Amino acid sequence: MNGRLEYRKLLRFPNLENTEYEVTSEETVDYNCFAFVAGEEDCRWDPVDPDGYWPDGVPRELTLDAFIKAYQTIGYECCDNRDLEPGFQKIAIYTYNGEPQHAEIQTENGMWKSKLGDWEDIQHELKGLENPNYYGVVQQILKRPVNSLK
Amino acid sequence: MKLPDRITTYKYPIKSHVEIEAEFNSLVEEWRDQTRMLSLVTQKSMHPAYQRIIGMGQPIVPLIFRDLEQKPDHWFWALRAITGDNPVKPEQRGRMKQMAQAWIQWGKEHGYEW
Repeated sequence: MNGRLEYRKLLRFPNLENTEYEVTSEETVDYNCFAFVAGEEDCRWDPVDPDGYWPDGVPRELTLDAFIKAYQTIGYECCDNRDLEPGFQKIAIYTYNGEPQHAEIQTENGMWKSKLGDWEDIQHELKGLENPNYYGVVQQILKRPVNSLK
Repeated sequence: MKLPDRITTYKYPIKSHVEIEAEFNSLVEEWRDQTRMLSLVTQKSMHPAYQRIIGMGQPIVPLIFRDLEQKPDHWFWALRAITGDNPVKPEQRGRMKQMAQAWIQWGKEHGYEW
């Protein structure tokens, strides 16, 4: 882990080269971005994989509404801005053609942390991962009070 | 299961283990290269190389178990499709190491060697 992504990975996310980012973990398949923003690093959240974890009672479908409901089970509510807000933790959900593809979580310094598929976690600017070929664009911000963290 | 009234004869070329393993390794490399950045297993498993691996059928199951034993990866979709079974318990869903272990155990119990 040297703080930078391999070039072949950067090619998938060209915005990263022009924005600030750093690698913050090793590669692993143990968790995906949707679990990562929920604070889980030994589990994969996936509504449409029969072997994926998904909160009980939430529809198993690849829709923004299902993802909002999933994160509501751990205290998040919809929010209309991506600004750093003291006392709150925020997550961003990306969609492509209306289907959720990625999620990331805001850090205390206003940057965002993401798990890149099966690659590493990175800390980055929000626009660094927006990409029409993979994750799409940020479609929804959610927030929860920091004192509700489990 | 209703058996056919008469046995028909047909033939198809049988690939050697070496050919199967070489094709499997090539497809795995292509699949990993092009899907590692994706977050959802459904999208990874729809990749043409992964679909081709599923299409290779039972002969590649030991190769998947060998790979899975070295390091957990997204082989559960393929294993379900090829074997028609699923030993993963509901409480193991999403937990890669536990799911890999469940499948490896299943493979040993069902006569696979790798």
